[in-house]
Amino acid sequence: MLTGLKDVTVGRLPGKLNGQGFVIQECENCNIYVLDHSATITIDDCVNCRIVLGPVKGSVFFRNCKDIKCVVACQQFRTRDCKKMDVFLCCTTQPIIESSTGMKFGCFQYYYPELAFHFKDAGLSIFNNNWSNIHDFTPVSGENNWSLLPEDSKVLDFVPAPDPESDFKSVRISTESARSIVPLTKGGRRKDSEESCLFVFFAGEYTAANARKLIDEASSKGFVLIQTKEVSMKPEDAKRVFQNSADDLVEWISKGKFI
Amino acid sequence: MQHDLKRLHGASDVTFSGVSRRKGNKMGLLSILRKLKSTPDQEVRILLLGLDNGGKTTLLKQLASEDISHITPTQGFNIKSVQSQGFKLNVWDIGGQRKIRPYWRNYFENTDVLIYVIDSADRKRFEETGQELAELLDEEKLSGVPVLIFANKQDLLTAAPASEIAEGLNLHTIRDRMWQIQSCSALTGEGIQEGMNWVCKSVNSKKK
Repeated sequence: MLTGLKDVTVGRLPGKLNGQGFVIQECENCNIYVLDHSATITIDDCVNCRIVLGPVKGSVFFRNCKDIKCVVACQQFRTRDCKKMDVFLCCTTQPIIESSTGMKFGCFQYYYPELAFHFKDAGLSIFNNNWSNIHDFTPVSGENNWSLLPEDSKVLDFVPAPDPESDFKSVRISTESARSIVPLTKGGRRKDSEESCLFVFFAGEYTAANARKLIDEASSKGFVLIQTKEVSMKPEDAKRVFQNSADDLVEWISKGKFI
Repeated sequence: MQHDLKRLHGASDVTFSGVSRRKGNKMGLLSILRKLKSTPDQEVRILLLGLDNGGKTTLLKQLASEDISHITPTQGFNIKSVQSQGFKLNVWDIGGQRKIRPYWRNYFENTDVLIYVIDSADRKRFEETGQELAELLDEEKLSGVPVLIFANKQDLLTAAPASEIAEGLNLHTIRDRMWQIQSCSALTGEGIQEGMNWVCKSVNSKKK
């Protein structure tokens, strides 16, 4: 638990939380780095903080917070009574906000050596990221309580690297988009072109690695990744998605989740 | 992990130790349906309420033996129905955000039992959840309806025990209906069967 801290750099190093729940409250002007996987995190009454939350198996819930810049990976993202937050998000379900304004969202971009394992430990797929379609429980007509961050936003301009004098100096963090554990997706942003192509990687030992390789190579050639998804599909769904090829692919689909 | 599952009923304090492992669909919706006595109206209605983020939908999915690793915050409601030999069980899971709690009353009518789910690890919101529960117990359309309080998220180390929650909520002052508090983890399934057994008992005793 982190309570009532001011002007400090704090958090948890890899291996120090190990899947437990975590609570952050009443912090002001702090840089908070929770660099481990956790069960659930609530953040209450924090002001002017920069926060990194490693993969959360359940929900991340911000309440009554103001002027927050954060990087978050979770199954559920929730806010209530929050104001002015910039969130680089990886969320496997639809994020929701309530009675919150000035909320801005961008795609999760982060790397540290243990992060990939933390995603696995938290049961979160790096390919299921719904960062850009937010549900607002309290929409105001004529106004937008939320919007998307500019596409070229750099995480480091929002959430700095930990102070080299801090406990976190040993963690080799990178915020380069090419190194990000979660692939950068365009999500709901306006597409530059109407032409698109669907790639499907069926279940197998190297599915994730192969998908990742394609993404990296295609990106370096100037292609834009719109959306990724890791799903299980029933044979009935296969007909709908693959149409004529469906029958040939049924066997592959039954093997497991594909990307 | 061993838990002491404290179950408080009225004045008596019963302690259970041990892990209840769910085998197959033992506490699933169909088995609950089969435990219920047939009624003239042929339908049992269970209402799942509680603050947002309490674990209502996880509980519903657990009862239906569905995947609980990919659950979206509920925007409206979820309902699970099972039917067997002309007898139906409906479980309604209603979204708990502050903004949509006024809509809870649309679901009160004909409720046979209320299940109120509390996040035992979210101490910051104990007062709020206590208040919402108190208001529910004051509702005319829910008068006399048995209430099961699930002290959920007991899998978390910081979870308050059911006894502390019962005290904070003044449950012992409830005199106008059957009530029970049950420790549980919707995620692991622990304590769910005990709670649902009480639910069946309370429904059957009311429908004599």
